[in-house]
Amino acid sequence: MSEQKTVHFIIERQDGPDSKPYTEEFLVPYRPALNVVAALMEIQKKPVTKDGKKTTPVVWECNCLEKVCGACMMVINGKARQACATLVDQIPQPIRLAPARTFPVIRDLQIDRSVMFESLKRIRGWIDVDGSWEVNTAPIQNPYTAATAYEIAHCMTCGCCLEACPNVGPQSDFIGPAPTVQAYLFNLNPLGSFNKDKRLNALMEKGGITSCGNSQNCVQVCPKNIKLTTYLAQLNRDVNKQALKNIFNK
Amino acid sequence: MFHVTFYIRRLHSICGIVPMGLFLLEHVLTNAEAMGGPAAFNEAIARIALIPHNIMLVIEIFGLAIPFLFHMIYGLYIALQANNNPAQYGYTRNWQFALQRWTAIFLFVFLIIHVVDLRIFTKGGGTPISYALLDEMFNNMGWFVLYLLGMLAAIFHFCNGMTTLCMTWGIAKGPRAQSVVGKLMMLVCAVLCIVTIAFMASYKMH
Amino acid sequence: MSKKNIIVVGGGLSGLMATIKICEAGGEVKLFSYCPVKRSHSLCAQGGINACMNTKGQNDTTWEHFDDTVYGGDFLADQTAVKGMCEAAPKLIKMFDRMGVPFTRTAEGVLDLRNFGGQKNKRTVFAGSTTGQQLLYALDEQVRKWEVKGNVKKYEFWEFIRIIKNDNGICRGIVAQNMNSMEIEAFRADAVILATGGPGVIFGRCTASTICNGSAVSAVYQQGAEIGNSEFIQIHPTAIPGSDKNRLMSEACRGEGGRVWTYKDGKPWYFLEEMYPAYGNLVPRDIASRAIYDVCVNQKLGINGENRVYLDLSHIPAEYLERKLGGILEMYSEFVGDDPRKVPMQIYPSVHYSMGGIWVDTKHNTNIPALLASGECDYQYHGANRLGANSLLSAAYSGTISGPEAIRWSESDDIGEELTDEQLAAAKQTCVDEFENIINMNGKENAHELHHELGDLMNRYCTIVRVNKELDLCMDELKKILVRWNDIGVNDKGHWANQEAMFVRQLHNMIIYAMVICKAARMRDESRGAHYKPEFPNRDDEHFLKTTIASYNAETHEPNITYREYDHSLIKPRPRRYDVAKGGK
Repeated sequence: MSEQKTVHFIIERQDGPDSKPYTEEFLVPYRPALNVVAALMEIQKKPVTKDGKKTTPVVWECNCLEKVCGACMMVINGKARQACATLVDQIPQPIRLAPARTFPVIRDLQIDRSVMFESLKRIRGWIDVDGSWEVNTAPIQNPYTAATAYEIAHCMTCGCCLEACPNVGPQSDFIGPAPTVQAYLFNLNPLGSFNKDKRLNALMEKGGITSCGNSQNCVQVCPKNIKLTTYLAQLNRDVNKQALKNIFNK
Repeated sequence: MFHVTFYIRRLHSICGIVPMGLFLLEHVLTNAEAMGGPAAFNEAIARIALIPHNIMLVIEIFGLAIPFLFHMIYGLYIALQANNNPAQYGYTRNWQFALQRWTAIFLFVFLIIHVVDLRIFTKGGGTPISYALLDEMFNNMGWFVLYLLGMLAAIFHFCNGMTTLCMTWGIAKGPRAQSVVGKLMMLVCAVLCIVTIAFMASYKMH
Repeated sequence: MSKKNIIVVGGGLSGLMATIKICEAGGEVKLFSYCPVKRSHSLCAQGGINACMNTKGQNDTTWEHFDDTVYGGDFLADQTAVKGMCEAAPKLIKMFDRMGVPFTRTAEGVLDLRNFGGQKNKRTVFAGSTTGQQLLYALDEQVRKWEVKGNVKKYEFWEFIRIIKNDNGICRGIVAQNMNSMEIEAFRADAVILATGGPGVIFGRCTASTICNGSAVSAVYQQGAEIGNSEFIQIHPTAIPGSDKNRLMSEACRGEGGRVWTYKDGKPWYFLEEMYPAYGNLVPRDIASRAIYDVCVNQKLGINGENRVYLDLSHIPAEYLERKLGGILEMYSEFVGDDPRKVPMQIYPSVHYSMGGIWVDTKHNTNIPALLASGECDYQYHGANRLGANSLLSAAYSGTISGPEAIRWSESDDIGEELTDEQLAAAKQTCVDEFENIINMNGKENAHELHHELGDLMNRYCTIVRVNKELDLCMDELKKILVRWNDIGVNDKGHWANQEAMFVRQLHNMIIYAMVICKAARMRDESRGAHYKPEFPNRDDEHFLKTTIASYNAETHEPNITYREYDHSLIKPRPRRYDVAKGGK
């Protein structure tokens, strides 16, 4: 029998938030349609490095494996993407995995993205309904506007855009493209638009939309193909108008 | 609600065109006269000198020095907030983004040298700026290269700044509009660079 | 009186809905989830959510929806509960609409409806092909609002370990573990709602998320909660088999002309068309699953001897496919790497949903006082088989019942004394000891390998076709696996984000739950809904029009199976046949 084909992984590991990173290499048996998560699962079953040294299984986060939950974002061969939707056949080997260091590392490839959820609080990322009880029927919506909203609502808070954005990181307080653009989603909604001013004012604060430097990496790496730069430009228009309102309407 | 960051950021953006962008264009046009030889250049300088000294000083301090310093210092702060990554994400816009910041840091140093040397010591010291003065200065290859790079960096920084300005102010929204603005500005950048290289070369060719 | 303090475990559609209801009633919620709630499995639901909106001129009624659900579930669902759900559905949709769910709309801007399997009226509200994601996000946003107001405290990346009962046997708290720091903590509550989702991962690879392991359900089962109808596991006929998971391939592929075949004697064999000439490739899910199973397992004619057959769209013009199935085909390309417009897709049936779960009454109370269960982890609403697009509905609706019911508990005098510090400390210590024991395991087995074997076993014997002899064998094997669990060796001895040790604990719970599924399947000698036994090909209402109840026997680790009456008074059982139009009522 011919020798088993393998896939070579070089994984940047880190035992804890304050530990020093180190790399370990693994050989994983090749299979057609093998993706990065499936390969990490193989390492769980046999946590032995390329040199035959026993080690601990690699820690990472994943849930749905269908590219909707956003959990398994990591840096693969230098770029932020979803590990579950990355087939080993489609990228050059050896495959280098690293945590998205824009965020604090918890362990190995697992990172702490809670800052993104905090940012969603800051932009008031919800519709202010009176309650879940029966009220009126919601207003009808222009189906084209609704389609735009649907596109933005695909954002799964994976953090690819934050990882790729040069203006997001420990050196800056920018909340990043994803939470910023979510503000537009709620402003588009007929009921959500009642709080449009509040959201725009929140975006005008430090770390808000003014921190966007238009590197436009976000739109390139978004796994959901959300036209982030288009909506950022729209929001820029909106905050400029809001600034005039703040000055002249009071 | 008064969003300091927002207004400073927007002011920074405006300063980039008025006065800085305009002043850059003025420099390119005036210096382009050098291609016509010493007489043409000196005549152009003389035209500017028609503005009375007192008024000129006020313009220089409030119309130029203060906005320049503001744009430079706050710009440096902005540049330091970026963790440039074009090696990792080698998209055109990202290269431009990084170049914008690298040129910013270079121009910060260059402009200080340029202003201190020519405006404060030379002109302030009583020596008028003339073709002969510059010609002698550019005889030194070091000065020549520094000034050439300074001009090219400033032109790129201005043109690319105009592209981002169109996005920051929400003028160019869609991908097509943004792409057209970007290309147009790079065209302007190319033209200005060619003019600059031409007049700088003219010093070396007579 | 103290504040109404409720613990909700699980942040999917049901847990979040319950949380909102509790906050609105003035309660405070500690919300435990082992992932950020926005990443819960509810977001994988694609097709839509059923509700009788009646906006397509079809005179649709909630009664019709009720009837379709009961009929689809082969009359094993509690009819009072189902009726309540179907009547509430349109109100829930209006609520979601107000919360900003970007539902797909008609040209005049109102909610569009689509057809879905097992229902002849257009009744499925949808948001493109990501309805679950959109519904989950809407509730996530509302809960975030309550979090800002201070009514909700989230414990994300905390794993539920067990409940704590007071001296009267009332559930008054839980023990949970921080998945990063590994610290184990005991928490008090007035009532606990479990909304922890389905047990798909027991079958190894399935269409569920990696987090749907049924571990929490198994834990409370081992503490006395009863599990109902656990043998009813829905199989989806067309999933893309993967080594990490099986991904759903929409039924729409067959609907648009996809042909199912495999090689026989070197030539393509369109077995569905040959076996069922009348319906061909459009036979219902269970029949298609069984046929594919038969071809692969009994006749050994799967592609390259593996368990998979072709689902072929390559004969259909690419332009037509793009228009009708664009997104779905893209998904296949993305995860398989082949272009289904050119190459036939490879598919195999996969475990998809568990109709069974913790037994609850119509108010979502379990048999343990002050412990409630809602969502896929409970057994309610779907009977022996679930209607497509009813899962999002049941998840959201059950939260609207369990939340207020938990509040009722917190206000009643029946919940007895709150847990003493000693009780909390004791419960915590039990879990700490258990975890330390796991970390110190030095045996030969690898937990993930063992899990793989468990999945293979369950997939082989407890899915599409069930044979008593094989189920007995399966049970024996499960017992062996349970013994082998003790011989696991844990590679990671650390006390920081030790996923391996946590998985070992989950695996134990999974094996116990697997035994419940297996035994319940063994005992039900009939064929009903998703449960099919060739030895007993017909439905047996005389003996089995009853809910299967499993309770834990700590001595043997095996379940005791009994049967319980339920309410089927509203619609009289009639034969369930999808080869003819739905029978009259």
